[in-house]
Amino acid sequence: MINEIKNACLKAFESGEVGYIIGWQATRFADKTTPLFMRSAEDVEKLVWNKYCVNSTAKYALEDKYPEKKIGIILRGCDSRAVARMISDKQLKRENLYLIGVVCDGKEDPICATCSHKTPVIYDVLIGQPTTEEISPERFAEVEKIAAMTPDERYNYWAVQYDKCIRCYACRNVCPACNCVECYADQYRTGWQGKAHNRAENQVYGLTRAYHVGDRCIECGQCERVCPMNLPIMSQTRKMLKDINDLFGPTECGLTIEEAPVLGEYDLNDREEFM
Amino acid sequence: MLLPKEKLSEALGALAAEANVIAPVKWEGDVFFMPYKGGDVCLEGNGKLPPKDVLFPKTEKMYSYSIAKGTMTEHNDAAATILFGVRSCDAASIERLDKVFLEQGYKDGFYSAKREGLAVIAMGCDKPMATCFCTSMGIDPMKAEVADVQMCPVEGGFTVEAVTEKGKEIVKKWDSLLDKKSKAKPAKVECSLNINVPEDFEKKLMDMFESPIWDDVTKACLGCACCTYVCPTCYCFDINQDVHGDEGTAFRCWDSCMFSDYTRMAGGHNPRPSKKERLRNRYLHKLAYYKDRHGKYLCVGCGRCIANCPAHLDITAFAEKAMEVE
Repeated sequence: MINEIKNACLKAFESGEVGYIIGWQATRFADKTTPLFMRSAEDVEKLVWNKYCVNSTAKYALEDKYPEKKIGIILRGCDSRAVARMISDKQLKRENLYLIGVVCDGKEDPICATCSHKTPVIYDVLIGQPTTEEISPERFAEVEKIAAMTPDERYNYWAVQYDKCIRCYACRNVCPACNCVECYADQYRTGWQGKAHNRAENQVYGLTRAYHVGDRCIECGQCERVCPMNLPIMSQTRKMLKDINDLFGPTECGLTIEEAPVLGEYDLNDREEFM
Repeated sequence: MLLPKEKLSEALGALAAEANVIAPVKWEGDVFFMPYKGGDVCLEGNGKLPPKDVLFPKTEKMYSYSIAKGTMTEHNDAAATILFGVRSCDAASIERLDKVFLEQGYKDGFYSAKREGLAVIAMGCDKPMATCFCTSMGIDPMKAEVADVQMCPVEGGFTVEAVTEKGKEIVKKWDSLLDKKSKAKPAKVECSLNINVPEDFEKKLMDMFESPIWDDVTKACLGCACCTYVCPTCYCFDINQDVHGDEGTAFRCWDSCMFSDYTRMAGGHNPRPSKKERLRNRYLHKLAYYKDRHGKYLCVGCGRCIANCPAHLDITAFAEKAMEVE
């Protein structure tokens, strides 16, 4: 499969339309890869494809909103949904991207266990045989586990999590739905987000982020993967998604490039018994 | 002298009866330096976070005021603390922080009050992790820089050596627990991750400020603050206030040079506008600026930034690339 991906990269460079391609490269550690930015055909030999390709490749495109040539991105299923997310959110333009989709074989990370889209949902070229996709029965298992706690147990559970949180903002920075030009937490002298490192301020951040991305979360799990303190961050956005599923029917985000956020659009047929 | 393995809890218990003891313990699936409340300590690995918040808390109150009452109260709580189980990397970080907070012509009152009351029981490290490279940074895994007591793991227990007067007081309390005839000596330890840092590397880096290498080595960075918050030697802080009507409390808290507001000026200009300038500053501070000023690297090779970086960036890989630059 690696040869097919490399060939697709070489072809993309040959076409002259693509400026650089984002993939993965080896590090000195056998169990870690790091994002690779290939600028020409010579760089393609550095590309790797193995079970340790866990980093998301899509979000780096946000750093280059007006590229001279197309940005090439090697996409797994989750990366393709990240691209769809950012195009739907009007942060990326489809015509600026050259998408090399690869059917994912599952990576060495717990976040991949509940993956429901190993085949990329958008691409210019697809490598690998599309798989039959089904939603994991475990999708909301963690949410249900937390929902089954008593209010006190649940409070204590999250209290411990946010005592651990160091507010490094890795979850925000890796998240394709966190694509605000300036995050509320970085705004100067607005007082939205206090700077103190304590449970209360950490929880303000966690809740704000969960609500802000909950109806646009593509369930890639990168937030949990990057968290140095191992907080179960995806269970928050999945709680939002579970409620949305219960209230509005089956919903998955980031499957098309013209998707309005569930809580950001109004439909005459929406339930409104609360009115 | 040897402290048998099975006597370790008793030895720590004896100290904890009289002082605040901070030791590496298992909590929530990881190892953290926390108040010792009896039971087992965990000496595997070097801990998720360094023990730096014993001296430099994530958040600490500085003073409170009330305009109505016309009062101002200074806060500076420091209790005598014994820090147990510190590996050489983290011990070296305390020496680096001392230079910053105590020896630059101004003595930081909050830091010094805690530092004066601190005793360090260092633990030699016989199992460096895959990401450890302290030996490349000139640190001996079996001999810690600011240790009051140096312990080292050996067959059946730990060697114990009182290094300072403070350390002798501690070892006195263990008198009945120690095997004084033991001649056990710790083995020499090398990290598996080695980089051959050349002499005057900092001078070379200082001349590389405008090098094209920075675009390349910072491209994969996510711009989060993970590396700075897990780092034992990162010491940046911000001062802020909690204001309620005419009363308020000023506090200082950890800050990170990786954040956009870190260098943002009053008029909105930011001299470090992107992650390229921010990560360059971080790498140069660790490997060049501090060495130029104080003669030692500000990186102690604990490897936490490598182990925890979401993008799997590696400061040793950067150093090797920088060495190759003509």
